[in-house]
This record gives sequence, C-alpha cells and structure tokens, in this order.
Amino acid sequence: MTALLEVEGLSKNFGGLQVASDISMTLSAGDRCALIGPNGAGKTTFVNLVTGVIPPSAGTIRLDGRDVTRLSAAERVRLGLIRSFQVARLFKSMTVREHLELAVLQRDRRTFRLFANVARVAGLADEVAELLGSMGLTPVAHTAVGSLAYGQQRLLEIALALAMKPKVLILDEPAAGVPHSESQRILDAIDRLPKDLAVLMIEHDMDLVFRFASSIIVLAQGRLLCSGTAKQIAADPRVREVYLGSRTNAH
Amino acid sequence: MTSVAERDGKAGRMTRPAPLGRRRDLDWIGIPLIAAAGLAAYWLLPEDLALLTRIAASALFVLSLDLVLGYGGIATLGQAAMFGTGAYAAGILAVNWNNDPFAMLAVGGLAGGLLALVTGALILHARGLTLLMLTIAVGQIVQEVANKARDWTGGSDGLSGIDPAPVLGMFRFDMFGHTSYLFALAVLVVGLVVARRIVRSPFGLACRGVSEDPLRISAIGGSPKSYLVVLYAVAGVIAGVAGALTAVTSGIVGLDSTGFSWSAEALVMLVLGGTGRLYGAVIGTAAFMGVHHILAANDPYHWMAFIGLFLIGIVLFLPGGIVSGVERLGGLRRGKEGGA
Amino acid sequence: METMFGIAVDGVAYGMILFIISVGLSVTLGLMRVVNLAHGAFAMVGGYVASYAAQTAGLPYGVALVVAVALTVLATLPLERLLYRRIYGSANELAQVLLTIGLTFVIVAGINYLFGPTLKRIPLPELLTGTVELGPKAIPTHRAFVIGAGAATLLGLWWLLERTDFGIRLRAAVDDPAMAAALGIRTERLYLATFALGTGLAALGGVLGAELLPLEPYYAIRYIVLFLAVVAVGGAGSIFGSAAAALALGIVDTAGKYLIPNFGEFFFYVALILILFRWPHGFFKGRTA
Repeated sequence: MTALLEVEGLSKNFGGLQVASDISMTLSAGDRCALIGPNGAGKTTFVNLVTGVIPPSAGTIRLDGRDVTRLSAAERVRLGLIRSFQVARLFKSMTVREHLELAVLQRDRRTFRLFANVARVAGLADEVAELLGSMGLTPVAHTAVGSLAYGQQRLLEIALALAMKPKVLILDEPAAGVPHSESQRILDAIDRLPKDLAVLMIEHDMDLVFRFASSIIVLAQGRLLCSGTAKQIAADPRVREVYLGSRTNAH
Repeated sequence: MTSVAERDGKAGRMTRPAPLGRRRDLDWIGIPLIAAAGLAAYWLLPEDLALLTRIAASALFVLSLDLVLGYGGIATLGQAAMFGTGAYAAGILAVNWNNDPFAMLAVGGLAGGLLALVTGALILHARGLTLLMLTIAVGQIVQEVANKARDWTGGSDGLSGIDPAPVLGMFRFDMFGHTSYLFALAVLVVGLVVARRIVRSPFGLACRGVSEDPLRISAIGGSPKSYLVVLYAVAGVIAGVAGALTAVTSGIVGLDSTGFSWSAEALVMLVLGGTGRLYGAVIGTAAFMGVHHILAANDPYHWMAFIGLFLIGIVLFLPGGIVSGVERLGGLRRGKEGGA
Repeated sequence: METMFGIAVDGVAYGMILFIISVGLSVTLGLMRVVNLAHGAFAMVGGYVASYAAQTAGLPYGVALVVAVALTVLATLPLERLLYRRIYGSANELAQVLLTIGLTFVIVAGINYLFGPTLKRIPLPELLTGTVELGPKAIPTHRAFVIGAGAATLLGLWWLLERTDFGIRLRAAVDDPAMAAALGIRTERLYLATFALGTGLAALGGVLGAELLPLEPYYAIRYIVLFLAVVAVGGAGSIFGSAAAALALGIVDTAGKYLIPNFGEFFFYVALILILFRWPHGFFKGRTA
C-alpha cells in the first residue's frame, strides 16, 4: 500500500492557544478512516490545516509523496486532496448539473475557454450524466440548488468532490443535519465510493463510524489520543473516558 | 488572509446573478429581437437617428458593465475609464494615423482591455467599499491623464476632428447619420452575440460561481481572482469598443467619457434594465436615454428628479435586493419553468 | 518663499474644508457601513440654506451658519429613518450606491428648482474680509477663520469621541456592533445621532467652504469623489486619518495648481491606489474611531 496522505507533527497555535499539537497520521489508497473526538477536540482545525485553509505553525503534510505544506488550498485541490463541507456550501442559483459541469471543467483546467459552449465540451455531458446517476441526482439535474432538499444537497457535495477525481477525500460529517429518511442514500453513496480512494471521514455518529471505518483516529484537546482498528478503539478505556467526560449521549 | 476571506464572503452575498440556466431556452430570441427593433426604429424614427446611435453605443457600454457586475459580482463606479480610454485611443488613431472605422474599434477595444487587465490585476483583490473606491480612483486618474495630455486629447476642449473613412470603403458616414446608426447597431448586435457566448462558456459558468461564493471556487481548485481579472479585461475590451464606437459615430471625444458620472449613469441604466441578463443592458439604456431625451428636452433637472425618485423606489420597494426584485418584475419565465 | 507660504495657507484652508465635510462621511461610513454618495448633496444644502439666510433673509453670517447646520440636520433626519436605515451594513453596496445616487439627483433637482442654476454666494461679514497679520506675513482673514474652524472641529470631535459617553458607545459600536448591541447600547438611536453628526459636519463644511467649493446645483456630484477619496485614504471612521488625508489632498492639490497646474489631483489618486493596494482599510486606520 502506498501512503497517499502523510501528516507529521502537525501543530497550530493561535496566540498562546494550542489548537493542534503534534498530530501525525497516514492514509493509504483504499483506507476508510474515521476521525472522531468530542466537540472542541480540534477536528475541524485539523481538516483546515490539512486542506490548507489555515497555515500550520509546525509539521509537514505530504500528498502522494509530495510536500504540500506550503501550497495553497486551491493547489492542494488540484493535486487531488478534496474535501466536502460540513454545512453544504453550494452556489444557490446554479443547477445541480451546472455544479458538476463546473467541477469537471475546473478539474480539467478548461474554465478559461471564453468562447466554447458548455453544452458542447467534449466528454463533459457523459461524465456529468454518470456522476448524476451514481448519486441518484438525475431527476433533479436541472433544479437550482437553492430549492433542493437538504439530503440532496449533501449528495451533491459528495458528487462534487468525486467530480474532481480525488486521491484523498475528506468528508466532513456527510450525514449531519439530514433527516433519517434521506440519510440511507448518503450512506449508500459512501459505501459505493471508488475503492482505491483514501477517505477520511469526520463523524459524530458512532453507528456510522463503525459501519464505515476500517481504522479510527481519536482527537482530544488538539492532540492525537489514540488510533487503531474500530474494534481496538471501541474497547479503549481512554476513548470512553473522553467521550463520557464530555458527551453523555453518543447518539 | 482571514480578513480577505471574510470580505470575499460578504461580497459574494452582495449581488446575486440571475439563475441563467432556467432562461436558456428562450434566450436565443433576444438578439434577433433587438436587431429587429433596432431596424424598425431606423424606419420609424428617422428624425432621431443621432439619439438612436448614442443609445446603441451606450448599450454596448452598459453591456460591458453587466458582464462585470451581473456575472462577476464586481460593484464598480469606474467602468467609464475603459470606455473613455477606448474612445480616446480610437480618436487619436483616427486623427493621426488611420481612420478606418474597424481599425478604430480594434484599437479602442485593445486599449480598454489592456487598461482593465492592468488595473484589474492591481485592484481586484479588494471587495466591497474598498473596491468601489479603487474603481473610482482609476477613473479619476484616467480622466486626469486625458485632461493633462492636451496635445493628444485636446484636454477639456475635447478631441475633435475625428473623420472616419467609409465602412469597408463603401458606406460613407453621411450627415443624416444613416451609416452611423446602422454601423452602431451592427456592432451592438455583434457585441451581444460575443457576450452571450462568453456567458454560456465554461468561463462564464466559473465567473457565476465566483460571484456567488469565491471561497467555494477555491475549494474546487480555482483561483477567484484570476477569473475576475480576465472577466474585467474582457468587459474592458467591450467597453473600449463602445468608446471607440462613440468616437466613430459622433466624431468627438470629451473628458466626460471617462468620468465618474458616466460610470454612475451606466450603473443606473443597467439596474433599470436588470443585471445579469445581457438584454437588460440594452433595454435599460434605451429606456433611460429615451425618457431622458423627452424629459430633459425642457429642463435637465426634471429628468434628474424623475430618475432619482425612480432609483430610490427600486431600492425601497423591491426588498431582498435589486437583482432579485428586478428578476421578479421581469419574471414571467420564472413561473413557467419553475417545475423544471 | 512667498509662493510657498501662499500654498501652505491656501492648501491648509482647502484641506480643512475637505476635512470638515469628509469626516462626517467617514464617521457614518465607519459606523453604519453606508457609502453615502449623497453626502456632498447635504453639504450643498447647508451652503444654500446659509446663502438664503444671509442674502435674502439678511441674517448675520454667524446666525446663518447655525441656521444652515440646524436646518440641514433637521431636514435629513427623516431620510435616516425612511431611507438609510434600510441599507446599513456592508452587504448592501449596490443598494447603497443606487439609493444615494438617486437621493443626490433628487436634491440637485430640488435645489435647482428652489434656487436656480446660477452660482450662489454667502456674503462674508466685514470681520472676515480683511487680512490678519501673522508676524511679517499677512493671511486673508477668511482663510485663517477656516483653518481655525477646521482645527476646532478636529478638537471638538476628538473630545466628543474620546471624552464623552456618546463617543465611548460610538467607538464600541464601530469596533464590534454585535457586542455593543449585546451590551445594551441602543444602536438605532446611536445611528440616528451619528447620522445627524455626519450631516451637520457636511453642512458646516458646505457653508465655510463656499468660497473654495462654489455653490451650484452640480456641487453634489462634482465634489463627492473628492470626499470619498479622503475617506478611503484616511480610513473609514478615523478622525485623524481623515484630517491627515484631507490636508495632504488640500496641500498637494493647491501646490499642483501653483506649480504644475492641475497635476495635484492626479498624484493624489495615484497615491490613493497605491495606499489602498497596500492598506485596504486606509492608511491611517487607527483605533481613534
């Protein structure tokens, strides 16, 4: 297995406040890893550091063997490090189809074609149709995202990430806020993610974590508390302590 | 970094481009319709060809502003900088070297585009109030330069003596303005076709994304600023051509053509017709200048009162923003395609 | 030497006028985040009222000045309630620009309807028409008066914002509007008061500066860019920033007129771009509210 994402000694200080300290982890092709931890553990900060939204104070991030620590968020995206957002962050006036067209065109660096017709870009329609189909979004392809059900917006978030052909995919609470009736479709979509993809999922819902993850990383107070297989983590007394200490009800 | 991100976020909410996708089906009618209306006006209003010519050239200018504001979400009060630069470039070319009308348009577009590219790269990192000020400042500088370079521009007297050669060597610019008007109308129609093409291109799609949420564009690997700079430059070319067209058809270029007032008026015309819809630029310009012609004939101040009250009315009585309001006003299509 | 002195006096006087008007715009922009393109129109209204009071009604200059400021504030307060309140906040630039341009047009048309298109003067009293001796130099009294009034405005504003309860609230609201509201500061009243302050300053500057920025209906449109530029360089909400920027513009522009005619403004706008490029919130953006 080749390591696709290697994080070493990642730290971040805001003034005197240490929000991430000395976090290391590795993701290989095909990995399904869950990142868990109580509220305020620094999960979002960690994702922001890895994706390049905020610069780290120390540590290195390697993507597919290449040091990307100094690269901007957009440059990391172009190298295949893609995230979905916790709160669906979409272009409200664009249709579902236009989102996917834009993502595919952006991935292929064809967005500076000023005089081409989107409808006639070679291969685009087929690829978009496939993405729509794989997420069950075909019926709403021409609907503006603003009037889409929330669960469908989350599906579109995942489709958008996949459209960019990621090597490493970070899913930030993909099912959060989705009513139970719709969440099954999101779980199915996650099950069907390409096998060679390295996936890191931030999640609160323990049922989902155990169903999805082959390995689990636990953060607490900005530190890596422990990591291991789902079974190991479930049995780890430290994890229970951290969770029981701050969350009386895991779900 | 964070503050830039925040400002970008806020600015993204400022203008919502109209959802284009839903209107595409009806879109193609617009250009032939405008061409037909333009030709009809030519037969019906032979006395007013000078006014109609000004409307056509101004509509092209407002169209360039629509690209910038309606599709890029860039609020600007300096679009006339590109218009004026194009006009002066074309005028100077005609007076000194070459008075072929197409050469004038080309040079005008080039000059406007270059100015927009350079100033855009310099100022488009900013958003909101700061950007508004920077666009004003660019306009003022261009005006000052034009004012000072008397030998080339005629300074405050204006640049006159522009005498374009016959179009294609065949159609002379007659004193009744027949050639001028048809030439201007043709350029406007070509401009609309080009703008429509750009809006529907992959680039146009990306620009709509930037105007809605620049950070999300970064998250799919794009650079919001480079899209905006290119869009600004493209709009600069069109504004420059519009300026050159004015120089060709009117034979003079004045300092006003670069000024703050002209930028502000263009904004008013655009909002009148509706942003983010291309044809709105033409309709708004025709309505604004037409009513202006009627009301200002007696007293320009009547006109100012009218348009002033109108603007206040738009802002107050179309809650949720001008763009969405204008959309609701012109929204027959919305209902039709809501179920799609 | 004589020229330098003349430039200094005229430049500072001109700068002070720009300061008095612009600082009103700066305060409202800083607090309410509103690009008020009608600010120049408010200054013009002040000037016209004073002109009417002094010329037609025959009031003394000082009384006309007070009447002009008071009437302008009174006349514009309803505008705050009816119009401006709806467009506060930085997410509304386009609405702000359109509404205040519209308002400017209406005011220009109204002024023309009431007073006609010709240039209006505010006759200076005897007291302000001579010169004052300053050592070996003589300064036109009116210039000295304007400079004094500008300095007094600067000090008064500083006192108001640094030493009074109103100022403390205002600064708190500028720094963090949400926090200020949470602390029980009545932002609505604060906005109204600040708007009145801004309009009053505009009117004051309009009256005092009638000699330098002549009163005619297009005044409102002609000079607004100048006032905006001062605010942009000075930083929205910064009193000393506005003063420094206004004086710089005044001196540079005046020097330009004397030495290389009309290039002053050009340099100012180039500086404006460079400054905003480097410091997007203005060169002098400080904590002085």
